[in-house]
Amino acid sequence: MNIIEQIIAQKAGRKKVKAGDELSVPVDLVLAHDVTGPMAIEQFNKIGAARVYDKDKVAFVIDHNIPSSSVDSRRQHNILRDFHRQTGVKLYQRGEGVIHQVAAEEGLYKKGDIVVGADSHTCTAGAFGAIAIPVGATELAAVMALGTIDMEVPHAFLIKVEGTLRPGVYAKDLILYIIGKFGAHGFTDKAVIFSGDAIVNMSFEEKMTIANMAIEAGAMIGYVDQGEPIGAIAGTCVIQASDLEPQIACPYSPDNVKLVKEVEGTPITQVVIGSCTNGRISDLEIAAGVLKDKSISDAVTMIVIPASKRIAEQMEQKNLTKIFRDAGAIIANPGCGPCFGAHQGLLSAEDTAVSTTNRNFPGRMGHKEAKVYLASPRVAAESAIAGSIVDPKNVTSWEG
Amino acid sequence: MEKIKGRVFFLGDNIDTDQILPGYAMSVPLNELKKYALKGSQIPDFAEKVSPGDVIIGGKNFGCGSSREQAPVALKDSGVGAVVAATFAMIFRKNSVNIGLPAISSGCTERMKEEIDEGDYVEVDLESGTLLHLESGRTYPLNKFSEPASATLKAGGLIDRVRNILRERGELIDRRETQY
Ligand code: SF4
Repeated sequence: MNIIEQIIAQKAGRKKVKAGDELSVPVDLVLAHDVTGPMAIEQFNKIGAARVYDKDKVAFVIDHNIPSSSVDSRRQHNILRDFHRQTGVKLYQRGEGVIHQVAAEEGLYKKGDIVVGADSHTCTAGAFGAIAIPVGATELAAVMALGTIDMEVPHAFLIKVEGTLRPGVYAKDLILYIIGKFGAHGFTDKAVIFSGDAIVNMSFEEKMTIANMAIEAGAMIGYVDQGEPIGAIAGTCVIQASDLEPQIACPYSPDNVKLVKEVEGTPITQVVIGSCTNGRISDLEIAAGVLKDKSISDAVTMIVIPASKRIAEQMEQKNLTKIFRDAGAIIANPGCGPCFGAHQGLLSAEDTAVSTTNRNFPGRMGHKEAKVYLASPRVAAESAIAGSIVDPKNVTSWEG
Repeated sequence: MEKIKGRVFFLGDNIDTDQILPGYAMSVPLNELKKYALKGSQIPDFAEKVSPGDVIIGGKNFGCGSSREQAPVALKDSGVGAVVAATFAMIFRKNSVNIGLPAISSGCTERMKEEIDEGDYVEVDLESGTLLHLESGRTYPLNKFSEPASATLKAGGLIDRVRNILRERGELIDRRETQY
């Protein structure tokens, strides 16, 4: 059995499972946010369960529209707040940050756990060795009632990344490269295992960036090697980290990946640094390193959104807040920001943005014609200064 | 489980959820989703043509793309009795079964396309795992549902299946009157 099968077998109390088997598995953590949570609660009420299976294993995070961006979004908050009061489930409603970041900081993701989330980037938990499954509202409601999920053991694919990334090339470039190589449907319904010394030696922050975007290649599960034997995997691909150059996903799909130098010079009007992909302190340090004592271009509106309240605190302690403000950036409160097109920096048809987020489908960040390029914080920050897309290796003032 | 009887609509490979329910229809009230069923597909007027019990026969990778649960809801509410396809994207298949819409894979969809005309009547028997072409009397094998999926369908969807499980455990209360 490979590592994914081993974890599932152990959780399900079976000696052996194989890809394709469908079985019922106990769930260690159930997650939803202010956009998916209310519908799941509605379904839960239709079920009529006497209680949530384990209130300490269910957590809601208000992160998508916070502070509320409309009357409807406030209503959604209130549904979660009421449910929290009535059932005692965890609720993060104080601007703690983006669901996947908050869950990580609170220690909710544990190695070998089964995590079920009503959000497609639930795969972020794979950075910590959890098996994380994205579900719809009805399924989430059923899990809240029963504490188990029926799942199919997925076929696995192993990506081994060997060697070291060059200066100026980051985890974001690596995952963009992988998505570009395999395409948006490359791993549909599969579990992708990220391994090799380049991955194993990464910080948890970088591992989260990698696992976060597994869904952009269609994966059902993204799992980062935790150091134990992976077992035999039929499909494998080896990537040499040192071959990689800075990557960028062009409009209108995360798999439309090019080398940054191929689109260098493209004029831009907005830069967003944040999200569950790249809103962590190491990302902000990289961006601040570029922006220190510099000003962003007149043509650009720049928004910095720390992925959590804790990161915002670190940002202040390390004096990054001042660097960003002095450079001309707007610092928004921890949360999803404009990532999924609800508020805090939406684009109109004529805008072009460089963003460190994970999706650039038409309309994802505002108008359906607005162009969004997905890149690393380094590319984003350097492009903000230039007012056009910059290939970092052409700028020598900052050495990763 | 009752047999499903209706006319056939054919679709090709890689029918994604944008074809089944375009993104712009995601914000319409739930009970209006059916009007947008297959709006983005090669049968944009499907919602007007479909009758209760009709069967969609698709190709490979049916329901790929975003995991929106509203996509199978639109098909079910429009009257579709079952979706048969060579293969399904897992999330779509699960979402379908969870809301009580049988999504069944079969190795014979190519043959069905050759031997059955669009609009012909067929009967899907989930119990025996067959699709019967009424005009010719030919039957085509369908893959069996896994045990959990079949239990969910028998109950009429995941909500009712979970209700049954909780009822047996004595853990069911009816708090549908409670407004959250
Ligand atoms: S930051 Fe973006 S991708 Fe991450 S959870 Fe929020 S909306 Fe989704």
